[in-house]
Amino acid sequence: MSKSVRNIVIVGGGTAGWITAGVLAADHIVPNDENSVTITLIESSDIPIIGVGEGTWPSMRDTLRNMGIDEGEFLTECDASFKQGSKFVNWLREQQHSYYHPFSLPEKFFQLNLANHWVNISDKINFSNAVTYQGMLCDHDLAPKQITTPQYAFAANYGYHLDAGKFSHFLKQHCVDKLGVKHIVDTISDVKQHANGDIASVVTNGYGDVTGDLFIDCSGLHGLLLDKVYKVPFVSRRDVLGNDSALAVQVPYANQDDIIQSATVATAQKNGWIWDIGLQSRRGVGHVYCSDFCTDTQAEDTLRKYIAPSMGSKAAENANIRKLSINPGHRECFWQNNCVAVGMAAGFIEPLEASAIALVEQSAKFISTQLPENSDLMPIIAKRFNDKFLDRWQQIIDFLKLHYVLTQRTDSDYWQDHKNLDNVSDGLKEKLTLWQTRTPYTFDSTATEELFPSASYQYVYYGMEGQTRIKFNRKLHSEMQQAQAIFKENAGKTQKMLSALNTNRELLNKIKQYGLAKV
Amino acid sequence: MAKFEMVNNVDHSKIKINTKRSAELGDNLWFCLTFPEEFRAVQAHYPIFFQKEEETGQFAPVALFGFQHQENLFLSEQGWDAGYMPIAVARQPFTIGSQIQTVDGQEQSQRVLTLDMENPRVNTEIGQSLFLEFGGNSDYLDQMADMMEALHAGIESNKKFAACLAELDLLEPFTLDVQLNDGSKHQMVGFYTINEQKLAELDDEKTLGLAKSGYLQAIHFTMASQGNVSHLLKRKNSQMGL
Repeated sequence: MSKSVRNIVIVGGGTAGWITAGVLAADHIVPNDENSVTITLIESSDIPIIGVGEGTWPSMRDTLRNMGIDEGEFLTECDASFKQGSKFVNWLREQQHSYYHPFSLPEKFFQLNLANHWVNISDKINFSNAVTYQGMLCDHDLAPKQITTPQYAFAANYGYHLDAGKFSHFLKQHCVDKLGVKHIVDTISDVKQHANGDIASVVTNGYGDVTGDLFIDCSGLHGLLLDKVYKVPFVSRRDVLGNDSALAVQVPYANQDDIIQSATVATAQKNGWIWDIGLQSRRGVGHVYCSDFCTDTQAEDTLRKYIAPSMGSKAAENANIRKLSINPGHRECFWQNNCVAVGMAAGFIEPLEASAIALVEQSAKFISTQLPENSDLMPIIAKRFNDKFLDRWQQIIDFLKLHYVLTQRTDSDYWQDHKNLDNVSDGLKEKLTLWQTRTPYTFDSTATEELFPSASYQYVYYGMEGQTRIKFNRKLHSEMQQAQAIFKENAGKTQKMLSALNTNRELLNKIKQYGLAKV
Repeated sequence: MAKFEMVNNVDHSKIKINTKRSAELGDNLWFCLTFPEEFRAVQAHYPIFFQKEEETGQFAPVALFGFQHQENLFLSEQGWDAGYMPIAVARQPFTIGSQIQTVDGQEQSQRVLTLDMENPRVNTEIGQSLFLEFGGNSDYLDQMADMMEALHAGIESNKKFAACLAELDLLEPFTLDVQLNDGSKHQMVGFYTINEQKLAELDDEKTLGLAKSGYLQAIHFTMASQGNVSHLLKRKNSQMGL
């Protein structure tokens, strides 16, 4: 018999749990209506939050706005700063090479493919600076907006760098106080199932059976439902992306008014890479590496050397370093019966390009907009969800792999191994073949709502000095004048932006004092 | 470069302020700051809008005199052609400075009237004297001191007023499109005005709160002032001979 889907239970309260709760609550909970959807989040107080994801995509702006969050409060409460993209240092060569993958699309992207025209001037200006002003803003540590810019609006597209622990806490308060999410702090000791395999309730120590129609597994590596109840197999992607370990450390600023970087800086190392994320009060730095090629001690040494110049070698020696293990891969499916996994319970991959939180947002949005009205519809929605997110995982893996395959580094087996195309998917191989004679563009998007626009492929491919030999056809000839005008316009905009924008630090201090207006 | 001096009857005994109103003396402003306490007088002559202060992003009300930079449609050969001049303009070239004074052994910051000696209005021949023959304040100086106090208080009340409007979402961005008699169009962006729909939807408690604080009256003055845009337009057309 068909049963309506009214009571939603979220298991786990990290970033994944609270984002999912907030997205669903903002769309579905009707205050003072006894027929309203209910959302209950159960978290165990004794499971620490794994604070890896400290970067978001621009999609987070919409996610927060839809939840009714004040951007100024969020920035201040979560120690957050603006992220305008990623800067990749020494991925192509061992030294003196860097490129940006900025969040802004190339100018007039859907009107004209500038990449076709940039190839002719590639010896004079790098791709990103030719097509957008954003890389230059990042070079000068400038903010993507002004104090007079309304909340969530921008002069240059942006996401955030944030303190994941503070973010979870902030979302929790908002979800409980403003959106009507029920919050239970308790440990789950058992799960009860219906005859058809659906979860009937989770059993807690203090609150007894918590029943529900849909269960969302945000229990992270504990995998309480999808893994432990349904035993959905795990698909390892370690063969493609071998990084399986990370060391994380917090680096304080020397001075209160030190610059805050506008991009996540990812610096390639002999056996992995180091992320460097600037928050308001500190930096978050970490080394991701592959244990096949280096030991934890070697990795720790690399990390301490990286942070030594900014905090002094003595402090770097004594800094408290946390080890995290990464099992790169994802579940074979994510939605089984009346249970769907979001966040690390669904899968995890190295944090290059900060896909973790973005996938949580996408999952939550899917569940919320497609929430089945009754149990009969559940299998159809589940199938669609599984298809979509398996495809997204593949997109992420291909896109991350693209950062590695074009390397010219020869300093280690680690990089040699990444050049081996045997581990590259057919999809990516096809793209790489096509891009030798045509630039990445919208035809590379084969699915709707793609995670990465083809512009992202352009930034990485040309950042890594990927080559395209274009035959200039009649259409391209006719576009040339227009393309020149856009390049010129971008150069003008760049100068204008550089003089008009404050630094991240200056703007964040102002926001702390004055907030950001809604209009 | 401005050169500020604290007004006193020793250094400034011979100083006069030219109170003529003209572009040369700095009156070619297209708007100036205003505040709720003078809205009643301002709304009779000028449109009141809100702008964001560039440095803080905070909303502040302004009285509009023209449609573009340096255009003051109230300025003519005869001076300022309106029955009321906003205090932020009338007080020129005075400003308020602060001075640390020791009172009963305690250091206190006190507001003092200061004068920009480089301002073109400041001279020794034309206009209003600051001091009487034997050093007493002229009526003019007392009047300026009162204005500066009013402006100082007005800036403080603007902060509270703007915070209240922002809190209740009562402001909305507004693009002013004007068309002159010759068909030419001008567009002004960066202004904000009262969101009348949101105002109408406020619950009783909030509306009562606005009424009791006096803000409701200020809001209504702001809304009523918008009719003055057509008066500005009339001035513009006639100045251009249209």
